[in-house]
Amino acid sequence: MVEPAPERRILERMAAGDGDALRELYDLHGRAVYSLAVRILRSQPDAEDIVQEVFVQAWRQAARYDATRGTVVGWLLMQAKSRSIDRLRARKARPEQADDAQRPEPVDTGVSADVQVVRVEQAQRVKEALERLPVLQKTALELAYYEGLTHVEIAEQLEQPLGTVKTRIRQGLLKLRDALGGTGMPDVMRDGTSK
Amino acid sequence: MSADAHDHEIWRERAAVYALDALTGDERREFETHLQSCVECAAELQTLRPAVGALSQSVPQLDPRPELRDRVMSAALGETRATAVTSPPAKAIRVEKAKSPLRWLPVAAMLLLAVGLGVYANGLRGRVARLETELDDARSQSALLQARVERDESTLASTQGQLASAQGQLAVVTAPDARRVALAGQKGAPGASGLANWSPTRGLALSVSNLPQLLAMRDYQVWLLTKDKPVSAGLLPRDAVDGRTVVFMAPGGVEPIGVALSEEPEGGVPQPGDRIYLVGLMARAQ
Repeated sequence: MVEPAPERRILERMAAGDGDALRELYDLHGRAVYSLAVRILRSQPDAEDIVQEVFVQAWRQAARYDATRGTVVGWLLMQAKSRSIDRLRARKARPEQADDAQRPEPVDTGVSADVQVVRVEQAQRVKEALERLPVLQKTALELAYYEGLTHVEIAEQLEQPLGTVKTRIRQGLLKLRDALGGTGMPDVMRDGTSK
Repeated sequence: MSADAHDHEIWRERAAVYALDALTGDERREFETHLQSCVECAAELQTLRPAVGALSQSVPQLDPRPELRDRVMSAALGETRATAVTSPPAKAIRVEKAKSPLRWLPVAAMLLLAVGLGVYANGLRGRVARLETELDDARSQSALLQARVERDESTLASTQGQLASAQGQLAVVTAPDARRVALAGQKGAPGASGLANWSPTRGLALSVSNLPQLLAMRDYQVWLLTKDKPVSAGLLPRDAVDGRTVVFMAPGGVEPIGVALSEEPEGGVPQPGDRIYLVGLMARAQ
């Protein structure tokens, strides 16, 4: 039913030392990785560092890529998210730089004016599903995912009981899942690696 | 599996928070233990994964600067890959693709294994990422320390230079064979004066003051006057025209009877010209 993902062939070529394959992977997913890092770190130079780290790691570990764990882009984005959150936490641990990272703000901040904003249909659909969530659910999800906060920290920030926060997170994720289910799985999950 | 409905609702909530990686450390370990024995929670987790993944794509898509592509390529391709080239592509655990819309419902055991591996791998990835961050921090610290050491070494070298100079002056002045020379301003620099100490073994220590402003392309040159002819001791450093003591090496075989200073073309000359500004004859040896 589902074609073998071209990305996986790219990974195989990378594993064999084909630098062009890495260029193709970057051209396919560099923007998604960069965009996620910008969203989390709100800093173009930091986001560029993350992109470099993620693709260098992909190059090093192409042979160890395990398709059962998800799609290639999912793998890249997971790395980008994990590294960005680590960097965000390290930045917060240094008080002099903490202010701009403390509080979530509208998503377009921190991006220099010469960066062109591009939205694909897929991203738009996901974003719309998120926007339709009640504000507490949406905020709880965003604080967890983009700010790397634990549910305990989220409860403190939103001044809500712990149980409420956990419930809101679950409700939000379920609604997001349902909304995505209605129009098909997101590309992130689509290339036939389901378990 | 035997947990009652209420308990399980709590676990399901935890599954959602876990999927977002927002449990605290203890809760996370507790949930991962639970996952190993609860297929329902494992399945729940799998249904939530796409929603979590979707969050990574719901951000505004931005084009990175074109230069970033070259930077990434040179960073990746410029390094040697230790193992990947020789290792065959990893054979992933094969999972049959379900044709039902419930694609997430595979064989329970396989699911558990995959989740378990995923959990383990996530833990490892997290640790690797943290270690890499710590390594980066350590590298920054190291660079800072290196810079500080270089700065300190530079200060030390400068201090050592000053010390050596002071020791040189002291050696001349305190040498048993030292002879003192007072230099008087000549025509063209009547207000100038100088003081020298000459030691045949340790050289000439000289300080001058009130010399005329030195023009561009000109130098002050110091001479040891002998019965035969002046012998150059060297050029006076441009920053030593007012009071600082400068030590010149003793030229071999010279027996000076006096010291002089003249203004000469830049770089000095073999014999002094007519712009002689300071002259002093030696007192008798003690």
